[in-house]
Amino acid sequence: MQLLKKVFVGAVTFLGIALAPFTATAGDLQQQLTSESVIETITKRGKMKVGMSTFVPWAMRDKQGELIGFEIDVAKKVAADLGVEIEFVPTAWSGIIPALIAGNFDVIIGGMSVTPKRNMTINFTAPYAHSGMGIVANKELAGDLAWPDGYNSSKVTFTCRRGATSCTDTQKLFPKAKLRQFDDSSLVLQEVVNGNAHAVLTSFPKPTLWQAQNADVLFNPTLEKLTEGNEGFGVRKGDPDALNVFSNWIMVNTSNGWLQERWNYWFTTMDWADQVNLKK
Amino acid sequence: MTAKKKTKSGVTRAVDTIVIASAVFLVAYIIYKVDTVMIYEWHWSFLWEYILRWDEEQQAYAPNLLLKGLATTFRLVIWSMLLASIIGIVMGIMRTSSRIFFRTVSRLYVEFIRNMPPVVFIFVFFFFISSQFVPLLGIDELSVNASPETIALLEILLGPPELFANVISGILCLALFEGAYITEIIRAGIQSIDKGQTEAGQSIGLTRFQTLRWVIFPQAVQKVIPPLTGQFITLIKDSSIVSLISIQELTFLAQEVAYSTQYVFEIWLFVAGVYFCICYSLALLFAKLEKRSQRIYQG
Repeated sequence: MQLLKKVFVGAVTFLGIALAPFTATAGDLQQQLTSESVIETITKRGKMKVGMSTFVPWAMRDKQGELIGFEIDVAKKVAADLGVEIEFVPTAWSGIIPALIAGNFDVIIGGMSVTPKRNMTINFTAPYAHSGMGIVANKELAGDLAWPDGYNSSKVTFTCRRGATSCTDTQKLFPKAKLRQFDDSSLVLQEVVNGNAHAVLTSFPKPTLWQAQNADVLFNPTLEKLTEGNEGFGVRKGDPDALNVFSNWIMVNTSNGWLQERWNYWFTTMDWADQVNLKK
Repeated sequence: MTAKKKTKSGVTRAVDTIVIASAVFLVAYIIYKVDTVMIYEWHWSFLWEYILRWDEEQQAYAPNLLLKGLATTFRLVIWSMLLASIIGIVMGIMRTSSRIFFRTVSRLYVEFIRNMPPVVFIFVFFFFISSQFVPLLGIDELSVNASPETIALLEILLGPPELFANVISGILCLALFEGAYITEIIRAGIQSIDKGQTEAGQSIGLTRFQTLRWVIFPQAVQKVIPPLTGQFITLIKDSSIVSLISIQELTFLAQEVAYSTQYVFEIWLFVAGVYFCICYSLALLFAKLEKRSQRIYQG
């Protein structure tokens, strides 16, 4: 052990001396970081490449084959504010993080929730969106129930898909209500439509989507988010400039209400449905 | 002789009838089951809009996602077929070379690729090789600096400029992968020709290349056409796997449409039909070629 330690210390000292002339001064390092930042690449190229994946209504194809959606609006405004053009790089979701690391695009704006596990491989900006659970209920059964207290009763039945987060969320929010679990997500909705259950929790925009698809039987007791997730832009590690530029863009557009306004348009209304051949 | 044949065909016919009848019954049963168990309302009309769209500005029909994807698939398939054939011929000849260096290189290439699942190869290739190599080609700068004529030509060959790098990665990936199988087909074709032919060629003073070109190849071509047809059809089908690395071909864009519209079944059935049509027409084309080469061979 003693010998091993000696060898180790020796090696470290040697490396330190050998590499000393190559180590950068603080000023050099600063310059290097700035010049290697993706922000610099974007400005030089005059174009920002954004990695994204199709998911209604974050990003989707309209009838003309063009990309539309919440994060398409976000990415376009980021590019406009930076004074550069935009190029979207549609990417399969399973490979989107490796593709960012490999340098296929500059930033992920793809409705990606911030999780510690993902954060080990890439950096996230401050959240620009907060996805969440919403509720949709049967008009006939639940139309007279007071929101939200009326739903927390043993007379009320919720449905959920086995294993989904909506099951635990329902139990947490409405502990007194009955919960029926199904293996199939279409059954979860069907039971409420058929009047066998009062209501169901699901992530936005499904509450509004389902309500619109079954407008005569379903309604939304509230359009508020019952639980909240955090979605941020993803950037490569070791790029403080990019993190700062994007996070501040998000901060500015959160405080001026622009992000909220766009969110409301895509997630709480169905005004955009005509642009897409969405299943009815 | 004739009587014997007749009774035999009688039995075969009975067996055939039973087999066909049960197949028809099975298909009918499955359709019935799908129709009754799966409550699903089919919508096909929306597909047209994603094939051809009406452009308000141009006042004309323009290709939409599915047609664009099909065009990319064609480009992908044609270029990678060409490239894979070149790789296959060069490596195939190297496989039969008398020099151990050539044999080892081509053997390594074939074994490395043949013993790896296509999906794994595509990921490894894409993230470790193509994402480092393709930027070196300077495609991004090229599409900015090149003359309009060059761009127009490249657009016909490779599709929209912003996707050059994307399509080239796909082509390289497919070509390298399928090239290994073509190598083996070429090797088998060359080795299937009797050694006496090579010796005869050499004895009249032909070089190794001339022997290959004028003696071996004309005979080998005929033998490799059927397996090559199969390999090309596999290549077309495998081209759908590169959708995993986000090459914007038919499968990838169909997936985008499926996610956007939620008409998943309709889209996949349509895509299956398209691939079938392409592959089957290629099979017919090669069958014709095969017949022609037989005619030439027999004089």
